[in-house]
Amino acid sequence: MNIEKSREQHVRSKENAIKYGFWLLLMFFLTLLPFLLPNPFYMRLVTELFIYGLLAMSLDVLLGYTGLLSFMHAAYMGIGAYSVGIFLTYVEIPPSLWLSFPLGVGIVLLIALPVGWLQVRTGGFAFALLTIAFGMMYYTLVWKSRDITGGDDGMIGIPKPDITIGNWSLGSTGDPLIMYYFTLFVVLICFLVTRRIIQSPFGAVLEGIRENEERASFIGYNIRRFKLLGWLLACCLAGVCGVLFTYLKGSVSPTMMDATAGGAVLMMTLLGGLGTLWGPFLGAALFIFGQDFISTLTEHWMVFMGLAVMLLVLFMPKGIGGMINQFLEKRQSTKGE
Amino acid sequence: MMPIILNTENLNKKFGGVSAVFDTTIQVEDKKLTAIIGPNGAGKTTFFNLVTGRLRPTSGKVFYKGHDITHSSPHKLAQIGICRTFQINSLFLGLTVFENVRLAKQAKVGGSYKVFSLRKNLKDVNEGARTVLEEVGLQDKGSVIVSKLSYGDQRALELGIALACEPKVMLLDEPTAGMSQGETERLTNLIKELANSRAIVLVEHDVEMVMAISDNISVMNQGKIIAEGPPEEIRKNHLVREAYLGEED
Amino acid sequence: MQGEVVFWVQSGLNCLVLGGLLLLIAIGLNIIYGISRVINLAHASLYALGAYFGYTLVTTGINFFLAILIAPIMVAALGAVIERVIIEPTRERPMVYSLILTYGLMVFMDGMLKYIWGDAIHFVEVPAVLSQSISIAGIPYPFYRVFILIVCVVVMIGLALLLEKTKLGMAMRAASNIPEMVSGLGINMKLIHVSVFALGCMLAGIGGIIAGPLFTVYPMMGGEMLISCFVVLVIGGLGSLKGVTISALLVGAVQTLGFIFITDYAMVVVYVMMAIILIFMPRGIVGEGKFE
Repeated sequence: MNIEKSREQHVRSKENAIKYGFWLLLMFFLTLLPFLLPNPFYMRLVTELFIYGLLAMSLDVLLGYTGLLSFMHAAYMGIGAYSVGIFLTYVEIPPSLWLSFPLGVGIVLLIALPVGWLQVRTGGFAFALLTIAFGMMYYTLVWKSRDITGGDDGMIGIPKPDITIGNWSLGSTGDPLIMYYFTLFVVLICFLVTRRIIQSPFGAVLEGIRENEERASFIGYNIRRFKLLGWLLACCLAGVCGVLFTYLKGSVSPTMMDATAGGAVLMMTLLGGLGTLWGPFLGAALFIFGQDFISTLTEHWMVFMGLAVMLLVLFMPKGIGGMINQFLEKRQSTKGE
Repeated sequence: MMPIILNTENLNKKFGGVSAVFDTTIQVEDKKLTAIIGPNGAGKTTFFNLVTGRLRPTSGKVFYKGHDITHSSPHKLAQIGICRTFQINSLFLGLTVFENVRLAKQAKVGGSYKVFSLRKNLKDVNEGARTVLEEVGLQDKGSVIVSKLSYGDQRALELGIALACEPKVMLLDEPTAGMSQGETERLTNLIKELANSRAIVLVEHDVEMVMAISDNISVMNQGKIIAEGPPEEIRKNHLVREAYLGEED
Repeated sequence: MQGEVVFWVQSGLNCLVLGGLLLLIAIGLNIIYGISRVINLAHASLYALGAYFGYTLVTTGINFFLAILIAPIMVAALGAVIERVIIEPTRERPMVYSLILTYGLMVFMDGMLKYIWGDAIHFVEVPAVLSQSISIAGIPYPFYRVFILIVCVVVMIGLALLLEKTKLGMAMRAASNIPEMVSGLGINMKLIHVSVFALGCMLAGIGGIIAGPLFTVYPMMGGEMLISCFVVLVIGGLGSLKGVTISALLVGAVQTLGFIFITDYAMVVVYVMMAIILIFMPRGIVGEGKFE
């Protein structure tokens, strides 16, 4: 018994070492990437990938871990983006990171709280329908408020704040290199914190709700409250994405929060793998590159996307991340024998 | 006679015009095994659903230790000590056996808002979960994903989850449904033992099993209680025999 | 006649027409959900398909009235295939998956409509007998819209007869109440599922082909109809034909009048209505089943 246990531990620590090694290598590579591709266009592209990866991850928190489906999650990124955009454009002070960042996320939470409170009284499809209803309401509001938001045209030329610590400035968010590292830093922190939360006893409750909502309720969990907390976490992350997006692009438009955008995020998360947390980053990258690539061949890339979703649900419901996890687990179990 | 821990008063449930449960008054003694038997469709599961907050009664009341719990939600009931199992397994299929029980134990012991701790560091919860697994005989299957368990093991887990909540009253809905002879015996012994330290309310089809282990039996037919009493009395009761005519295995 | 009276009568009739169409499409969804427990997000795309089929049939010279019979059958056939190939495999899985799946189907179908028929708006020619204007108590009104109402009523009656009087219909109704028992009675559940789905799609197809000449045929027509459909379903509740009818008329009225008076915000009112019902009255105004 003791021999088996220590052998099992030996194998597991070896697997862990490989995992850590892989992530370390990845971080190393990402840190060096701007110097391998000194072109600011590519830096901005990868930065955008980080942001959408985080957005897809936030939907994974909602759907993959809490089991709540949203067709318009991009709306909360939009709210964050517009909040920051409006603040930086209209408020007559030097653009401030320390004011605009919390403001953007704060406004998202302010809206997500009552809406979420109403939504979690339902479940399943009713919940999904409500996300569409509210999402479309936000979109209409933004679209119609031409004077403030620029309506269809959106806003451009949004001032870019500097990243400051005390009186010392690290650089401007307008600088592609600085923005790249800033985004990488923020996204990494968000990922690690979220991962910790998911692995915590709190995260376990979310998983329980996803697996069997009724039973979770019957063993004593106030599922409405936990669903709301899971929802707030997901929306908070989406808000962060919105803020970063505005810093990066200096512009916002309603298309970032319409029905198509909502569907796109869902596809990214699905592609990457529900319930993996890291998978959606991969999914976002694949989706964005895939969309770009297919668009060069045909204008009917939506046909492929729809088909991809169907095939994923039918044959690879755990997405690519899930497949990789499964593959690794199989190797681990055969090695352990 | 032990103190009455759970009782109902004139409990009624109507679906449309049909009375599923009619004017039902039942008293459950603490640390005793009360069984509810009756033919199919007698209203036993509906009664369970009323008492455990899954359904709203049309009228009537439910009391726990004297407190009115008629309109309490299921999670509140579980928190104060009323837990149930389901006739059709209601498990966390995608999670491991250990996690199923651990989750239930965590609901009772606490720790659900510790967002930055690790699950394995909740010592009390983990210890408690391990103990429950031993009690239901699943200690070797802790890391198995529930969807891969045999039916008998799933049924045992069904009980284990409710047990982990440390209930004062356990309502078991046909716990041995579909189990083999050996498995049924094992589970029956466990239930009998559990009745020493808490109130058990059992809905069952296996009349012989019920006769063997119950302290009190209530017989339901067509939504009403037609007989109540210890097993020997029920055995002799002609109303009960009538209700079961053709239903005996 | 006073201009105002004319306006209100015409608008009122328009409300009825839209309501009738919504009813036709929403009933299909309702039946599919009530009996098979499937929510098909691509339902409105099948409605659009019916419109496109209608357009193609008419432009290749087939009599419009004949097309109204043919197009829905084509849509129903496709529906049967979809049910077998796509829906059936995911029946046992959590609903989230079938929602995402049919969402993918919707995106795929809407994309295919664009691919096959192009981006442009298509006009459908109706026979002269339908395209005239008639006089209702002195008020002019396009006869085609009255025709739509007639079709709706006829189809509803036909549907009621099917469900009440035929064996298949009764099996369907039984399946909606006690699915486990139905398979025990030897009724082929697979057949029920396919039939119900095909029936629902057929209804959507009928809605599509008669809506085509009214709305014109364009790729977004499915997407625009989809949310209205679900609002009708939610407000009306499940399992209640009466509820869906009232709801369809209500939503039809709100949408029609909304577009006249507050154009851009019309749909917002619809969304708000749906949200309120979903949150506070999950059974809908009349329905029995909970929409989950």
